[in-house]
Amino acid sequence: MAGQYLPTAVVGSYSMPGWLERAKNDFLRRRITAHDLEEMHDAAVKAAIKDQEVAGLDVVSDGELRRDNMIDYFATRLPGVELDRGSKASYYDFYDSVVRNRMPMAPLGLVEHFRFLRRFTDRRTKVSVTGPHSLVKRIRNQYYPTEEAFAVEIARIMNLELRELVRAGAEQIQIDEPYYSGFPEDLPWGIRAINALVDGVDARLSLHVCYGNRYGKPSWEGSYRYLFPAVLEARIGQITLEFARRGSEDLRLFKEFDAPFTLGLGVVDVKTHDVETPAVVAERIREALAILPADRLSVNPDCGLLHLPREVAFAKLGAMVEGAGLVRHELRG
Amino acid sequence: MTSPVAAWYLEPVIIHLNFLPKPGETGAGEVLAALFELLDQGRLDPELLPHLRLHLDWIQYRANFREPVTVRRAADARGERMALAELAVDLRRAPRDRLIDELGGALAAVGALERGTDGRVLVDDWAPLGDSSIWQFNRLFWQRLADWERHSGRGFEAALPSGRSDANDPAAVADAVADFWTLLVELDKRGQLPAEIFALEIGVGTGVRAGRWLDRFKAIDEARATDFYPRLRFLLADYSLPTLDRAMSAVAAHRDVVSMIATDALNPLRALSFLRYKILYVHLTNVYDNLPVDELVRRDGRLYLVETRAYVPGPVARTIAATYGVGPDRLRPTIARLLETGPDLFGDRERGVAFWRAVWDGLCLEERLRYLEGTADIPLPPGLHGDDLDELLATAPADIRFHISRGAVESFVNTVPLLHPRGYLQVQDIFVATMDEYRQGFRGPGKLDGSVVNWVNGALLGAVGARTGYDVHFAPFRYRPGSRTSILYTTLRE
Repeated sequence: MAGQYLPTAVVGSYSMPGWLERAKNDFLRRRITAHDLEEMHDAAVKAAIKDQEVAGLDVVSDGELRRDNMIDYFATRLPGVELDRGSKASYYDFYDSVVRNRMPMAPLGLVEHFRFLRRFTDRRTKVSVTGPHSLVKRIRNQYYPTEEAFAVEIARIMNLELRELVRAGAEQIQIDEPYYSGFPEDLPWGIRAINALVDGVDARLSLHVCYGNRYGKPSWEGSYRYLFPAVLEARIGQITLEFARRGSEDLRLFKEFDAPFTLGLGVVDVKTHDVETPAVVAERIREALAILPADRLSVNPDCGLLHLPREVAFAKLGAMVEGAGLVRHELRG
Repeated sequence: MTSPVAAWYLEPVIIHLNFLPKPGETGAGEVLAALFELLDQGRLDPELLPHLRLHLDWIQYRANFREPVTVRRAADARGERMALAELAVDLRRAPRDRLIDELGGALAAVGALERGTDGRVLVDDWAPLGDSSIWQFNRLFWQRLADWERHSGRGFEAALPSGRSDANDPAAVADAVADFWTLLVELDKRGQLPAEIFALEIGVGTGVRAGRWLDRFKAIDEARATDFYPRLRFLLADYSLPTLDRAMSAVAAHRDVVSMIATDALNPLRALSFLRYKILYVHLTNVYDNLPVDELVRRDGRLYLVETRAYVPGPVARTIAATYGVGPDRLRPTIARLLETGPDLFGDRERGVAFWRAVWDGLCLEERLRYLEGTADIPLPPGLHGDDLDELLATAPADIRFHISRGAVESFVNTVPLLHPRGYLQVQDIFVATMDEYRQGFRGPGKLDGSVVNWVNGALLGAVGARTGYDVHFAPFRYRPGSRTSILYTTLRE
């Protein structure tokens, strides 16, 4: 029974190979075709899946390696978003994007990528999507009267896509909302947008909130206290937070508030190349166990592994799995 | 500008004219006349001419590592001679009366793999510029600054072109403080101002700038009752302990908020990792120009790495032998001992410092151009990607000699992780902001007192900054007319 405790997963992204970065830039500069790039994406995703499996993760993702960044993957798919295709110097830059009219409903095409993931692994899978609050902060709005109205509209469109993902077999869907930490005053409507997004979506739903990982560095600093109590209204099954880099002080919030969701515990710092030992990971899990029971904890890195070299990312996942194993062993007594 | 001139033996010789002549200096016409004379005398090898380039450059630092007439040959990966050869003439110092002989001697040397013995004493072996022993001299200077200054009779800032450091300019310091104070107010309004406000100065000089900065910050804070000053944690960082000690006395009035920390400018993160993502303001002045640098050359579409070896010219070696009793055969090991143990090597520090200064004053660099198959062969510093260099080269002038400011790049990538998410970096230095500016002359390295000074490739830092999440900008230093320094500052790249 204890073996099912503390499931391990990535937050979403896996290490971006240098050769794939070059290919993405080459595509941006019209030096290679979309077909060539897609072949490379397929190869990179298969390798990322294999690395996660070999590292021993219980839940794997496609490493988000098809994405230029967390915004443009959606901005280029959302109907009604106009892009300035010349606004990027590098693939990782954000497009200058704008909405000038009411956004129509249309599929985003995420299902195809999920099916690819499903085809190449027997493990449990996870799909991450950028949340409406974060998208609203990067896509300029020239139509909707408020940011909230814009976010809810995006949520309404993406809701259909999440339902399609569930129909295609997706069991676990994560919503990424790092921009909450930069705009804590938005949280009330941000949570309403999340609830619109997940309405009727029959999957294990998690919400990931961090302090940013753009260019592998934090975008803000502070305490997760701002999330509470508003986040308790979110209709999610899990919240995934970063603790390895920032320390465990905010764990006490789960003692202070009776959260209806489980915790995805960040036990690996993704902003340093120093690889944690399994013992360090185990100790971080034990600290959380002092507050939450094992059946309410999952184990994951603080955030995506995108900016780490592959060997570092792989080693960190291995240490994470081993550390979780140490604690599972203790729980079995 | 680059100007092809009339052909000799049906082949052109490329002449790079990158200087503005001044009265009294040797002119380009005199150099050409000397070359024609050599030609008439049959002292020029016709086979050399199609591959010879003549560089008449403006050279920033009059005190440098070049003799007035130098020659650079190209070599392949095994050290075998290639066709390309460059003749470089410093018109400010070229001896008008001996021009033919100097040019003739240099051109004769082009044909040989090794120069004939002209009495010069080699101090090290061929290596990229960044690995030259000149950087050991540089380190020795900062470690034994007091000895040098006592012997020279002046402080090191007096050696700067303006006789003082632009970093200490009161108006510039006041503006820097105002910018920082504005940031603090904005963060405070949003409830995001940390309890401790960390600021870091790397490369502290005399400490005058830090003192003025702190005076100004305290004054603003008191005048506006913001109560930031007691929360300030101002760190002075330098790798030279004597320099830190001197700087601390300059900020004695602020002792409660100032700490000093021995830090290598190449990797501040090593000593300050406990402050990762916590520092709101990092400032450096005249540090990047003093860090190791490599140089690359592109000629006819081919890339070359500049390799150097330091030497003491024959006449200087003979003077040193006569003055210090160190003959040419013992000069190299004696210099190695100086660099290893400092100027006490003769059991007489004053004599040791005098020897050190004499060697340094005379020290020159031989150069050769090592052919590279492509950018993948370039030894890149951490943080600089080959792709970025490829992109820079794609937009750079076809014929170019430029810096791989590896020390500056290394310092930059090991500094920005210290920045608070809303923090910024300011660097006052001599920057080449765009690759195009490299058209305008030979940019170093030079000697500044006992230290090395060199221009910093700002375009390269821009590329590195973009990868680390910062846009890099350059603003001219507008506080002193004629200043060649500019201020690099970072803004967050969203």
